[in-house]
Amino acid sequence: MTHVLAAAEWGGEFDGVLDDINALFDFPKFIDLGTWFGQDIGINRTIIIAWLMTALVGLLFVIAFRDPKLVPGKLQSALEMVIDFNRQIALDIIGPKGLKFVPMLTTFFVAIFALNIAKITPIFMLPPTGRMAWPLMFAVIAWLIYVGVGIQNQGLGGYFAGIAFPPGVPKALYIILTPIEIVSSLILRPFTLAIRLFANMAAGHILVVITLVTPWIFLSSARGWPIGVFGVVLGPLVFAFELFIIALQAYIFTMLTAVYIDSSMEAHH
Amino acid sequence: MLLATTIILAVENGETTGIQLLPDASELVMGTVAFLLLVALMVKFVFPKANQAFEDRAAAIQGKMEEADAKLVEAEETKRTYEAGIADARGEADRIIEEARASAEALRADVVAKAEAEAAAIVERAQTDVAGERERVVQDLRAQVGAISVELAARIVERELDQATHEGLVDEYIQRLSSQN
Repeated sequence: MTHVLAAAEWGGEFDGVLDDINALFDFPKFIDLGTWFGQDIGINRTIIIAWLMTALVGLLFVIAFRDPKLVPGKLQSALEMVIDFNRQIALDIIGPKGLKFVPMLTTFFVAIFALNIAKITPIFMLPPTGRMAWPLMFAVIAWLIYVGVGIQNQGLGGYFAGIAFPPGVPKALYIILTPIEIVSSLILRPFTLAIRLFANMAAGHILVVITLVTPWIFLSSARGWPIGVFGVVLGPLVFAFELFIIALQAYIFTMLTAVYIDSSMEAHH
Repeated sequence: MLLATTIILAVENGETTGIQLLPDASELVMGTVAFLLLVALMVKFVFPKANQAFEDRAAAIQGKMEEADAKLVEAEETKRTYEAGIADARGEADRIIEEARASAEALRADVVAKAEAEAAAIVERAQTDVAGERERVVQDLRAQVGAISVELAARIVERELDQATHEGLVDEYIQRLSSQN
């Protein structure tokens, strides 16, 4: 099924297109690194894309701030805007104490944005964030940060007690509330962070593939060509929409991480 | 929605045709490694420099603004000095003009007074001259009238009178004339 993507870009036959939807995401390993802890570890196309996009982000930042100028050039200006954007998120949500999280939030934002935008980057055309590994990794790191901040600020007992027994609630309600709060704060938060990003990117990837495959299949068809024309017209709109989703999801992930950090700074209930 | 659908489809068909929901171990490891490297790069290298740049810029802007403020204060001070200087110069000019006017006035008054005094002196001298002349003429006339009178009287009375008696008679006569005038 890997030929589907290549075919969508370069042309080809489409027998059984989209029969196996997972093949749009799950690429075979072409370098085998053996078995680690009972898991087959190797390198596949998705990992290469993720590495390249991550390296590109790192490279851009290093070039921009290798010798930062008082009057910034274009690249430095652009990336300063990105940092400033995240600084505003930190300030608006966490307040002045949030400034120390700006590097982390910025890194989240740019990494997620870069991995997302691989979805509509020619040749790549695949968002690594559409594979559960990346959203889960981001969510787990976000979880570690906000739980760590909570323990650091309120103490181990104080933080977990604050979550389990929110003050100002009749004691009888703790029977219902405590399990809900624990599950909500410690399990559902990272889970929803990961699922939201993953589902958006997976759905977007399918939409992009369908948009690109549609003209190829239908334009040459005697009866179906209007659908092909429709696909051609729709293509740029779908890409623009996906670009919006890409930025939005990076923002939402960063913003919610900041919200969770803020909720850990002190007991808010 | 999509996930639910694919998972349900997968369960119904008993095949793995849905999107794989669980993370792939290789991708998780490699993705985490790449991301942690990026975090290290950003935290250790990029952000110290970026923050330094922000601080430098803030300091530079602050410095420039303070410099501008100082320049403004200095300029106002200079302006005040110049204005004071101009006011002084104007006062000085007024004073000089006033002095000149006063000295001209004094000079004029002096000249006028001198001229008046001179005129008065001239008039007085003229009056004195006139009075002297008149006195002299009177004396002359008196002498002549005396002589004529004596001669006339001598001819009339044909008798010689001594000079002193003549003069006494003449003087008396003239006194009479003067008082009649």
